[in-house]
Amino acid sequence: MAEFALTTKNLNLYYGRFQALKDVQFSVAEKKITSIIGPSGCGKSTLLRVFNRMNDLVEGVKITGEVNFENRNIYAPDTDLLKLRKKIGMVFQRPNPFPISIFENIVFGLKIHHLYRESKEFLYKFAEESLKSVLLWEDLKDKLNHLATNLSLEQQQKLCIARLLVVKPEVLLMDEPCSALDPISTAKIEELMQELKKNYTIVIVTHNMQQAGRVSDETGYMLLGELIEFGATQTLFTAPRDKRTEDYITGRLG
Amino acid sequence: MKFPPPLAQKIAFFVLFVMTLFVVLPVLFVMFLIVKNGIGAISWEFLTAMPKQGMRAGGILPAIVGTFYLVAGAILFALPLGLFAAIYLSEYSQDTWLNRAIRLAIINIAGVPSVVFGLFGFALFVSFFKFGASILSGSLTLGIMILPVIITSSREAIDAVPGAFREVSLSLGATKLQTIRHAVLPHALPGILTGTILGIGRAAGETAPILFTVAAFYLPRLPQSIFDQAMALPYHLYVLSTQVPNVDVKIRYGTAFVLLVIVLLMNLIAITIRSHFRSKKKW
Ligand SMILES: Nc1ncnc2c1ncn2[C@@H]1O[C@H](COP(=O)(O)OP(=O)(O)OP(=O)(O)O)[C@@H](O)[C@H]1O
Ligand SMILES: [Mg+2]
Repeated sequence: MAEFALTTKNLNLYYGRFQALKDVQFSVAEKKITSIIGPSGCGKSTLLRVFNRMNDLVEGVKITGEVNFENRNIYAPDTDLLKLRKKIGMVFQRPNPFPISIFENIVFGLKIHHLYRESKEFLYKFAEESLKSVLLWEDLKDKLNHLATNLSLEQQQKLCIARLLVVKPEVLLMDEPCSALDPISTAKIEELMQELKKNYTIVIVTHNMQQAGRVSDETGYMLLGELIEFGATQTLFTAPRDKRTEDYITGRLG
Repeated sequence: MKFPPPLAQKIAFFVLFVMTLFVVLPVLFVMFLIVKNGIGAISWEFLTAMPKQGMRAGGILPAIVGTFYLVAGAILFALPLGLFAAIYLSEYSQDTWLNRAIRLAIINIAGVPSVVFGLFGFALFVSFFKFGASILSGSLTLGIMILPVIITSSREAIDAVPGAFREVSLSLGATKLQTIRHAVLPHALPGILTGTILGIGRAAGETAPILFTVAAFYLPRLPQSIFDQAMALPYHLYVLSTQVPNVDVKIRYGTAFVLLVIVLLMNLIAITIRSHFRSKKKW
């Protein structure tokens, strides 16, 4: 078993002429929560989207360097993009369930990966397991046919996580998953993350330093496309090595 | 001359109201006339019998059936074609000069007078492909005429689906095609249907495109195959009004009434579908 789920080497990313990532080099530990913090526009989302190659969809993107996942460079030309995205899933900033029923949202991934079976029992059992894994079953078991977009934002975000877990990913990328939520909902999601950590590797981008401090094992601080400092969360917050990190966490910057 | 603001407000409101009235009144008047004069003709026999006595009595069944066939044929042809074109233009096409030209052409086709479609259909389907004057030729001609409506409304519907849906789907490992099939089209469906039904309404009411390609003055029996000619409501109305002497006004208006009801019904269905889905959608 590899200790690291993801490792980047000399990673540079350009949007046209603009360099959004500069020589980023770090590793994401397996079955741990790694958080990326930094001021707005420093490239956190960009870095996250490097891992499931969602940046490929942006026109004019150029990427150099390596990102290793399961001992292979995911930017090698023979990478199976669909398999990669199946294994490295993403939770977005705004909860974005489809405007269809809760149940239909859950089975979306089944349909895409040809795992859908008509059997009522199978589907019901499946929905139950999925919702249980995100601590939603008790709330929603009688509402499977309700419109997902009518749920509370916290429930929507959890449902989106359930929809993602259906395709059996190994890594979960979360881009400010709580920024649309109130503090209580945020706490609930963080609780869920601790639960998920047992089975998944999680990378979370957050604006919220307290959140990074609460949930993550390791933290990276980014500034203007550079990964300034990376290390154990405790250390980074209590004894930062770099002056710029210290400025940021003590609130003198950003 | 200067009015105090509240009065100016009132005057402006009044002027705008009268203008609107001018737009709506003629339409209402036409409808009123058709309903008033036509409703008396409507009977079971009128809707289900063949014309009699040189179309001066009896029913208009063959015209209703003909219009139904033509519209069905047009949709069968134009919906898949238009939908695929819309998907290509919205989801796949790059911004090249060729694609810009295609988009421009589609917009322009919508503005072509319908009689030009009639001539085009005659030249291409009737003469060149030798389909003759037939339901096939007429349907294809009508289909081409409503293509821009279907493409444009389908594109609008597809473009209105939030990018986040595509992003989620792709991030779950879906192919582009699966994304379109599962994450885009289901949410664009109401808009696509609306466009289709508006197209049907248009196809049902046009005379010029069917004039040279399918429409028969009078047929003693219903069409038996797609290579037969057919009667159709708009053309039948034209025939009754100008080509046959001494037709009872009631029959003419009755025919117009039936056509009007069909077209209005189509529009009503379109509006219902749209508002139904609009109330459900939330993003
Ligand atoms: N598609 C794009 N094209 C060009 N530049 C982009 C694009 N996306 C992001 N950028 C730029 O790249 C830089 C990093 O953006 P990114 O979204 O990764 O920042 P972020 O750290 O996630 O910010 P935030 O905290 O506001 O979400 C920004 O300067 C942004 O303007
Ligand atoms: Mg961001």
